[in-house]
Amino acid sequence: MNDNNVKIEVKRLHFYYSCGTQALEDISLSVHKNTVTALIGPSGCGKTTFLRCFNRMHDLYPGNRYEGEIWIDKKNILEKDIDHIGLRSKIGMVFQKPTPFPMSIFENIAFGLKLMGIKKKTEIADRVEKALKDAALWEEIGDKLGNFALSLSGGQQQRLCIARAIAVEPEVILMDEPCSALDPIATAKIEDLISELTKRYTVVIVTHNMQQAARVSEYTGFFMMGKLIEFDTTQKIFTAPSNKMTEDYITGRFG
Amino acid sequence: MTTAQVRKLKNGIALTVCTIAAFLGLFWLIFILWDVLVHGIGGLHLSLFMNDPAPPGIEGGGLRNAFVGHLIITFFATLIGVPIGILGGTFLAEYARGRKIARVISVLSDIMVSVPSIVIGTFIYAVIVKPVGHFSGWAGAVALAIIMIPVVLRTTEDMLSLVPWTLREAAFALGAPYYKVIIHVVYRAAAAGILTGILLSIARVVGETAPLLFTSFNNSFFSANMNEPVSSLTVSIFQYAMGPYSTWHSQAWAASLMITLFILVLAVLGRLLLAWRYGKRPTI
Repeated sequence: MNDNNVKIEVKRLHFYYSCGTQALEDISLSVHKNTVTALIGPSGCGKTTFLRCFNRMHDLYPGNRYEGEIWIDKKNILEKDIDHIGLRSKIGMVFQKPTPFPMSIFENIAFGLKLMGIKKKTEIADRVEKALKDAALWEEIGDKLGNFALSLSGGQQQRLCIARAIAVEPEVILMDEPCSALDPIATAKIEDLISELTKRYTVVIVTHNMQQAARVSEYTGFFMMGKLIEFDTTQKIFTAPSNKMTEDYITGRFG
Repeated sequence: MTTAQVRKLKNGIALTVCTIAAFLGLFWLIFILWDVLVHGIGGLHLSLFMNDPAPPGIEGGGLRNAFVGHLIITFFATLIGVPIGILGGTFLAEYARGRKIARVISVLSDIMVSVPSIVIGTFIYAVIVKPVGHFSGWAGAVALAIIMIPVVLRTTEDMLSLVPWTLREAAFALGAPYYKVIIHVVYRAAAAGILTGILLSIARVVGETAPLLFTSFNNSFFSANMNEPVSSLTVSIFQYAMGPYSTWHSQAWAASLMITLFILVLAVLGRLLLAWRYGKRPTI
């Protein structure tokens, strides 16, 4: 592993929800630039909680507490005085269920661009088009940008959300089970898209689907009960895991 | 009887009772509307809208002052009540969400909704009319606004609470500050519901008499000056219906018809607007 390629470095991360339960315990791992890192594990193991630490999503709810460090580009984003808005504009996120805003397709993508302070209409239009092309959506809906975003199919809505996330050109894209609400064809399209995205972005994806982790990712982390049991290249995890629990999970003996 | 037959019988009884109840409600509604229509339509002349009241006992004259006054008072009441209601509801559903103060205000405004409107009228009489020394349109508008606020506030709060949190999170994840999340995403998602609340609150106050009786009072002359007593339809109806002249009675009926139609149009417009918002996709 070459240190220059590390995009995110997590050091001894603990996380506590406001109710007092410890959701993450002593997590350390490195996410590499321009790769896909998959987080797998049984329900409630903390993988989504972990993902939501990267853009400080937990701060939306009072009482949640982090311990440890997450370094993104020589900056510890768990520091108190970190600018959440600036952080979140650099770290995009795609959610489990498609979350199109109740506005037109065009406005959905323009929303993030306007937040960045882009005012020129031609520039916004250009970047909307580019984002939709990058999300492999332009051919399908390029001629109906004025339509209401909620009129799209589930798979299209999810790709719209990806387009919305990449339109603002973040450095990292977090994906929280992005395909769990979609049919196999829509899933295949999004998986192709994810591989394409690594050319420019670093992707961290939570998935329940182990085949999906094996297909799209270069690195995989296996979580259980708030702990990172094993973290290695996807090939190693799926062919020769060093931990017994990982092996049991991968081979479907539980979870 | 078998269990299936008993169930069928129970179902039949429940259905019959529900249907009768529905028709009983509808019957009175149609009865009232029909009665108002029959009595009111005779008094509808152009002069009703064009002329100010004639001296008592003299034929002719109209209620132009009341129509205009009523619109002005309602307009200003909406202007005062709706923003306060929406901002208050936003505070409860967003900034104070889950806090005790939000629960307390919520319950208090539920109580406010059921406070008799005449109480609000006397309250405004005590805090505005008495200190100022005379009745005024402003006092009327404030009284109506106070009736509107809890209605708008509670609907806004409920409608905002219905917007799923994942939608807000999605906007936050793009780096949006909270106020932009609310304005651009949450309000849009709840727009139809909030609009319904506003229309409901206008419909609620437009037919009020008691709060105006003590505040804007009445004016036999045309006046659009909110610092003076301003005539309103409902108070005029009250006064004319109690009066001894048959022309007054017919004008009161006609005014009742107009105010009923106004509320009806308001409700229908609201529905159409919602249908348009949801049915046809908005363009860029």
